Amino acid sequence: MALLFLPHNRPLHSQQFNQTFTAIRKRLKVQSRPHCLLKYVLAFSAAALAFSTVARSQTAPQQAGSKPASSPAPKHDLSGVWQVEGDIGAAPIAPDKDIPPMTPWAKARFDAEKPGYGARGAPGGNDPILQCDPIGFPRIMLMPTPQEFVQAPGRVLQFWEREHEWRPIWTDGRPLPEDPDPAWYGYAIGHWEGDYTLVVESTGFNDKTWLSPTGYPHSDQMRITERYTREDHDTIAYDITITDPVAYTKPIVTPHRIMKLRPGVEIPESPCVWSQENEFTQRIRNPATPKPAK
Amino acid sequence: MNLKLATFILLIAGLLVVCGPMWAHHGNSAYDEEHWITLSGTVTEFVWSNPHCQIFLDVKDDKGTVVNWAIESQSPGILRRNNWIRTSVKAGDQITITLAPAKNGAPVGFSGNQLGKVVFADGHVLKMDIR
Repeated sequence: MALLFLPHNRPLHSQQFNQTFTAIRKRLKVQSRPHCLLKYVLAFSAAALAFSTVARSQTAPQQAGSKPASSPAPKHDLSGVWQVEGDIGAAPIAPDKDIPPMTPWAKARFDAEKPGYGARGAPGGNDPILQCDPIGFPRIMLMPTPQEFVQAPGRVLQFWEREHEWRPIWTDGRPLPEDPDPAWYGYAIGHWEGDYTLVVESTGFNDKTWLSPTGYPHSDQMRITERYTREDHDTIAYDITITDPVAYTKPIVTPHRIMKLRPGVEIPESPCVWSQENEFTQRIRNPATPKPAK
Repeated sequence: MNLKLATFILLIAGLLVVCGPMWAHHGNSAYDEEHWITLSGTVTEFVWSNPHCQIFLDVKDDKGTVVNWAIESQSPGILRRNNWIRTSVKAGDQITITLAPAKNGAPVGFSGNQLGKVVFADGHVLKMDIR
């Protein structure tokens, strides 16, 4: 779904659209005579088109590359606090239409999932993170909260605000381990392609996490390739390819996504605390969940 | 007839233009994010914890009965980036909050994205966000 972005990199949907929509809706309620309805339908359409034109004129410079140029990217350096663009906290790892056919093993797991988001979304459910299981990789990459790259000799460290989690990406030339212990975030090695692209290969995942808030299982044979390209000082473009022949008949290729540098932003402690999450479930999540019909 | 047809086409065009971005937000399936509401009342508790801060609010209904609403928000990290601190809301504060209510009619709501905000008795406002 297309998102429009304002110059300050926030999605244009939300409040502005809602205020416009609410104002028009209120007026429609109080003026319900047919000729008035026609008038407001026309006004609504005109307002929508005008608003869209304004929005696109604000978006165009970024898309056309005519935004004031960011300073050049430093070579072999992803250091900094970054934040993915767009509201992707509820996004699938890839659009449903781009998920390759599942194996019977994966289909059985998929059918057992009850996600809170997406086409199958419903209150309650059995998303593993509801009990503070680690979000795991690659799902953590869908979190709209910041992440930080820190570079040290022989490795790049990737920290995520959500869950206060991190992983090392080994860049000292070591190979992937042949029989790694299954882990929530796998085992990752990386190398630079050219001056600006870090290519990360990872394996050693357990099969306990979902690929995204909308579900989709994976096996412990999953291997992942990530490409992080620092396009300019303030921008990293990244792509993820998931290869898991136990679960999917072809690799899953995620949408091309962008993260932006957030100067001055610190990553605070943000663990998922089970006791607090459980209290939240008792006080808010459960009361908001419809009771099953008797 | 032609006018009706033109109206219909314009309406559809308008909906297509507006609705894409607006509906990109949804995912909190327990909440009715199509119909945000505003509640005024007295804060009974502000929970500043991960991964969801929460506001509990006594609100009088139409019959004068006090109902305690439980309102979900975002993590402390996200709220801090949006000018909140852990003492921004205190028990006893009179506030007006914008939220998406639970679809099942329970006094529970979500006020954790750009549409959510709290207006305090002195008029100052704190907004919610997801980032």
